[in-house]
Amino acid sequence: MKKIIVLIAIFSGLFFTSSCENELDLDNPNAVTVDQYWKTETDAQAGVNSIYAMFYKDGLWARWMYFRLDLTSDEGFSNSPWTELADWTRFNYINYNFWEGQVVTWRDTYKAVFRCNQVLANVPNITFQNEDDKKRIIAQAKFFRALHYYYAAILWENIPLVLTPSTPADLPEQKNVTEVWAQVEKDLNEAFEDLPTSWSAEQTGRPDKGAAKAFLAKVYMQQHKWSEAKGALDYLISGAGAKYSLTSNFRDNFTDLKENNSESVFEIQFGDQKSGGTDEGQSAAVSSNRAQFFAPRGIGWSDGQARFWLINAFKQEKNKDGNLDTRLRYTLYYPQLLADFGDKVYGKNWEWGNDEAWFRKGSRDYYRNNEDYYSQVNYRLVRYADILLRYAEVLNELGNTQDAYQYVDLVRARVNMNALAVAHPEIGNDHDKFLERLKTERVLELAGESVRWEDLKRWGDLNTQASVDKIALRDPDFKNFVVGKNQRLPIPQVEVENNPKLKQHDEY
Amino acid sequence: MKTKFTQILKQRYYLLFFFSLLVQQTYAQQQITISGKVSSVTGEPIPFANVVIKNTKNGAVTDFDGRYKIEAASNQTLIFSSQGYKTIEIAINNRTTVDASLEEDAMKLDEIVVVGYGSQQKKDLTGAVSLVKAEEIQKRQITTVADGLQGLVTGVKVRGGGRPGQEANIEIRGLKNLQSTNPLYVIDGLVTSANRDFNPNDIETIQVLKDASAAAIYGSRAANGVIIITTKKGKKGPLKVEASAKSSFTTMPKYSLMGTEEFAKFNNQAYDNAGAPRQNLNMAVDTDWQDVVFQNGMINDYNVSVSGGGDNSSFFMSGNYFGNKGTVVGTDFDRISFRVNSSGSKGIFSIGENIAISNSKTDEMSGNPIIDVYRLTPTIPVYDASNPGGYGYGKQGVADTFGTNPLALADFANTINENFRIRGNIWSELKFTPWLKYRFNFGYETSFDSYNFMRKLGNWTLNQPVEKSFINQNKGRSETLLYENTLTFKKAFGKHDFTVLVGQTFQKDNYNQIYGTKRNLLINSGTGSYYDVLDLGDSPEVGGFRNEAALTSYLGRLEYNYDNRYLLNAVIRRDGSSRFSDDNKWGNFPSVSAGWRINNESFFKSEFIKDLKLRASYGELGSGNIGNYEYKSFINTFGTVVLGNGQGLYPAATQVRLSNAQLRWEKLKQSNFGLDLGVLNNDLRFTADYFVARTEDVLFGFPILLTTGNDGGNPISNAATVENKGLELELAYSKKINDFSFNASINFTKVNNKLVSLGNGQNQNIQDNTITRAGNAVGMWYVLQTDGLFQNQAEIANYKNADGKVIMPNAQPGDIRFKDVNGDGQITNEDKDIVGSPWPEFEMGLNAGAEYKGFDFSMNWIASHGATVYNGFRSVVDRFDDNSNYRTGIQPWTPENPNTDFPRIVKGTTLNSRGDTDRFLENGDFIRLKYIGLGYNIPDSVLKSAGITRARLTISAQNVITITKYKGLDPEFSNSNIFQRGVDNGAFPNLQTYSFGVEFSF
Repeated sequence: MKKIIVLIAIFSGLFFTSSCENELDLDNPNAVTVDQYWKTETDAQAGVNSIYAMFYKDGLWARWMYFRLDLTSDEGFSNSPWTELADWTRFNYINYNFWEGQVVTWRDTYKAVFRCNQVLANVPNITFQNEDDKKRIIAQAKFFRALHYYYAAILWENIPLVLTPSTPADLPEQKNVTEVWAQVEKDLNEAFEDLPTSWSAEQTGRPDKGAAKAFLAKVYMQQHKWSEAKGALDYLISGAGAKYSLTSNFRDNFTDLKENNSESVFEIQFGDQKSGGTDEGQSAAVSSNRAQFFAPRGIGWSDGQARFWLINAFKQEKNKDGNLDTRLRYTLYYPQLLADFGDKVYGKNWEWGNDEAWFRKGSRDYYRNNEDYYSQVNYRLVRYADILLRYAEVLNELGNTQDAYQYVDLVRARVNMNALAVAHPEIGNDHDKFLERLKTERVLELAGESVRWEDLKRWGDLNTQASVDKIALRDPDFKNFVVGKNQRLPIPQVEVENNPKLKQHDEY
Repeated sequence: MKTKFTQILKQRYYLLFFFSLLVQQTYAQQQITISGKVSSVTGEPIPFANVVIKNTKNGAVTDFDGRYKIEAASNQTLIFSSQGYKTIEIAINNRTTVDASLEEDAMKLDEIVVVGYGSQQKKDLTGAVSLVKAEEIQKRQITTVADGLQGLVTGVKVRGGGRPGQEANIEIRGLKNLQSTNPLYVIDGLVTSANRDFNPNDIETIQVLKDASAAAIYGSRAANGVIIITTKKGKKGPLKVEASAKSSFTTMPKYSLMGTEEFAKFNNQAYDNAGAPRQNLNMAVDTDWQDVVFQNGMINDYNVSVSGGGDNSSFFMSGNYFGNKGTVVGTDFDRISFRVNSSGSKGIFSIGENIAISNSKTDEMSGNPIIDVYRLTPTIPVYDASNPGGYGYGKQGVADTFGTNPLALADFANTINENFRIRGNIWSELKFTPWLKYRFNFGYETSFDSYNFMRKLGNWTLNQPVEKSFINQNKGRSETLLYENTLTFKKAFGKHDFTVLVGQTFQKDNYNQIYGTKRNLLINSGTGSYYDVLDLGDSPEVGGFRNEAALTSYLGRLEYNYDNRYLLNAVIRRDGSSRFSDDNKWGNFPSVSAGWRINNESFFKSEFIKDLKLRASYGELGSGNIGNYEYKSFINTFGTVVLGNGQGLYPAATQVRLSNAQLRWEKLKQSNFGLDLGVLNNDLRFTADYFVARTEDVLFGFPILLTTGNDGGNPISNAATVENKGLELELAYSKKINDFSFNASINFTKVNNKLVSLGNGQNQNIQDNTITRAGNAVGMWYVLQTDGLFQNQAEIANYKNADGKVIMPNAQPGDIRFKDVNGDGQITNEDKDIVGSPWPEFEMGLNAGAEYKGFDFSMNWIASHGATVYNGFRSVVDRFDDNSNYRTGIQPWTPENPNTDFPRIVKGTTLNSRGDTDRFLENGDFIRLKYIGLGYNIPDSVLKSAGITRARLTISAQNVITITKYKGLDPEFSNSNIFQRGVDNGAFPNLQTYSFGVEFSF
């Protein structure tokens, strides 16, 4: 008996001594390693899809982007009790490392770029049955890299351009905004080549050639490259990609009932299937939080609201029938909404200030009395009405004001407004007057659709104290605006401190 | 063949016992028989004490009751000795009964110290090892062992709190890495953790290995030090039953906050100053949120143990119930634990096991009520039927605050954690010859963890979006297997005494979990309660994962002792970890230490100095304390995207988190120089240690550039180098005068922490108000500096930089003046500077005790000096730009009240309220009476008739006196964020605890 025990003890000892070194090679049973990935068409497809998932992150189009583009502009403002959050919509930038809408937006932009770069670096090495499928995947990645750099350049201007998959020790170099625009143009031009003219019904939501041209037009216009912009817009309006038309019902652009309609040029697809956060977990949401953050007090967070001058702007001109512009009804909640159009605010009578207004586009009041973090309403990032108004602007800039009228009129006619020449005969062929009117036309059509900030920059309205003073009459937040400084955000301080190749803007 | 009872700790004494039996038979024939009892000063019998006739080799050993019998001549002298007691001599003087009362030897040079895979006598130690008496820990009312160590050991810093089930942070000799400071726990040879599952009442001895040479044998996870716990074992003798019960009342310290009337005055003033319309305050309500949320807590701790043993075997069993009703509503902790160990031997073979089973259940605190009680204003009612769920909280224009109602949170978002744990090991030993021993140890630990979170319908804060009810449950299981083979050779050659140990160990850990979520839970229409099982509800979500790690090691140790004068100890350990890539898996970590017992030198003749030893050591330890698969990059396949006319979900996958493939072992290099001194017959003892601990290639995930697009955690890299230098002093004195004995000890610890370099090409790491910069300690205060208040417009206009630029043109009288440190004429982030350290200059402990007849008294004081801390409470209630309740007694600046340091209060502007200034930094010095207790042992005469061998009553109090200028709840707070150790942001305070206890044994 004793011997047996001794033998067992010794052998068990020897056994474990010899076997355990192999045990040190442990693979993660929970995930595929990066070097095992990027081998098949399925990998490539899921890889490019992950870029779309960036739209659902709070730094980008789930939440904070609207604070930067809508609330910072003179269309909106924040009366949030969270003082720092509100300060960031009124040019009181104290802590450059403020997370919400600053650092996280920067981070999520580069997260999206990293995903694009992974596709661009890895997919070319994958063998596809159909080479076109491969090209389309690569083209999508280029499109999105351009899209995210476009908005980053609008916000911060001089930023690092990261064009290859990241490694932890990377210290990318800061580029002047002109170099950023050049890269955006390059990516979009290459994307245009390989993107399809349209996608099948089950692939709706992916960018097509028209979307690429639309963003090309945007980037050209920001640089005042008017003829290049016209070339890009031609494709959508009269060229091979002229497949768009305005919806008969203006509101169809802001609900989940008529998504991806004939007016949609590029649309962010949101859903309410997932009830998680904006992280990378299994339950991560695929939704927009905008309505929750912009809904009036007592309904949503009420962190963003509309400036009251917008209501007056709508009421300047009656439609053909002598009634109010119906776009007012679907653009804003305002004190007279019930009196003017018979609509309550999420089923409530007006209970807010007499000089207050809230954004209505994207709200779900047509079927519920509250909001949450899980709005499924797609966001029309570029719609045909925007394209038409841009075309008019480009023609006006190229000295062809007369031709520009028809495109403004298309937009006006949809909501039963008189032709521009009829309503505003004083404009004539005057470039400046036409542009001034076009600025209003864009507000009436596109208020609260995240284009106002880039419009103000493009028009140079932020470049002189005189024009800023004019804006400040509409939006007192602009009293804080420092010309030559606040047209762009400070770069997150933590990035400046840790990247010797990145400099804070001198003015900050 | 002679059988031996080979219980490690007592081994030597059994040998003596048998030896003494032999000599008795041979020589002691025609002399008188003397009998008697050997007991301690407190009257407890001392078994196995040696009784030797002076100048002979004749002797005896006391039995279980401390009784002995010996034959000796009537004029001879008896020498009584026992481990841990001072030796005494008593002349027989014709008596046949000689009783001896032995005084405890505080120096305990013969005490056996477990040093990992073996043991040494205290006098032979060459490393920095501290011993803690188990009763010092057990007398306190504690949840984890770590709580009990506070103030008792030099170099060991403990920070805990009073939340039920809260585990204290423990830091041995400073911050040596940037991940975690928790030491390695070894319980009965099982490498584990002494978390809240472990019953501190089971401890027999506890040792803290502080320097590299002492801890080296445990290799890769010992860099933070090692705490070795040996649990109680059965002793030879009749069945012994011990029972104890302790009940404690705990009370919460409270803030001094305003009631509605006073609150309204200041709130209105803040709105008036901002030119904003006042809030429509609800003056009819006056809620004291502290009364609503805080309550008196209760701790019940019941313990029963049964032990016994014979010549060849022994056993011990214990059961414990520990229940803690929290001082915050909706918090609770319950633990039931059992422990069994036994051992036996036959011939050269012996075997034994330890098994501990425990189940602990915690009703966790939801949110942080410590903060909410002051973020909520007194004008908010506790209940408000107009809110979803019926609880009161902020309301725009009436009570503008985002503070959360703790009652609502406890009701609507409740977390319950439950862990069932089995922890144990089986060992067997073969003693081939008296000098060669083989030991196999198999350790096993498994834990079944259950997590249950339920979100009910209902709101707890202003503007909260509607959320569906849901339940989230997970079931996890962890498992650790440990195999150890060691061979010990121990032999003396003349004056040369060698012990050589070689061994091999293998450890495998795995953890797996499954989880599930369901939404829109069903409500029982009859009772209104929710069904809390995953069957009921919709939108199911499931998942699961498995983590594995393995560690293989080879170890060797040489202990060499020449003539009890020169001591040498050398350890080499080779570790291989699955957490590193193939190229970097293995690391070698040597250490060496030496000691010189000067008092044993022939030239050293001193009656005054009884003991003098010098120690020196140098060692390297590797650490691989990182996640299991950090060196690899993975694809996150969780993503989904909405596409298509049907707006369906499509899969997405990509790399989200970056990684460093070249991770290697973190290396701690530590030197220690020590001195042990005993004078006045060892009544006065002094120990000093100086150490330098430098950690290179510190594994840490510093933030990398956001332009990398990295998310999901910073990639770990071998980044920083950290250095800790420290001095530890301990002075102890004990004396017995007749029936009165007393002891006192004072310990002093000074640790200087320094970040030598940050690595990764980075210069500094800023987290909120702290900066970690090369050349400074980790987490220094980095804030704007205030310079009084502007009293009038002229002061504002005259506050200019060198170029004459007015620095704060927008300020108004009563606003804070900030220092323009860089002189650029404006106050920006560039003006922040390092203004203080969250590290104490030194910490001290004072422990004193006294015994008189059946009474004993003891107390522990702790003190900390030199730390600057951030008062998170004040940074909220003093800001006024955002609503909260306020401190009573504040004197904000007004034109009528300009003589104050409290700035003008203004709602809605951040100028005076910004948190990144030195306004909220405070002196963190404190002195605290950690424990004071009185015990009474009921005399034997009373007990005998009841058949009880020992009965004891205790009464004690903890944290009852605190001397500090700190204005927060508790200067002894803990913050587990390594970079923000000095930030008290709603840390759960230590509680005043009043305890009553009874102990019996029979």
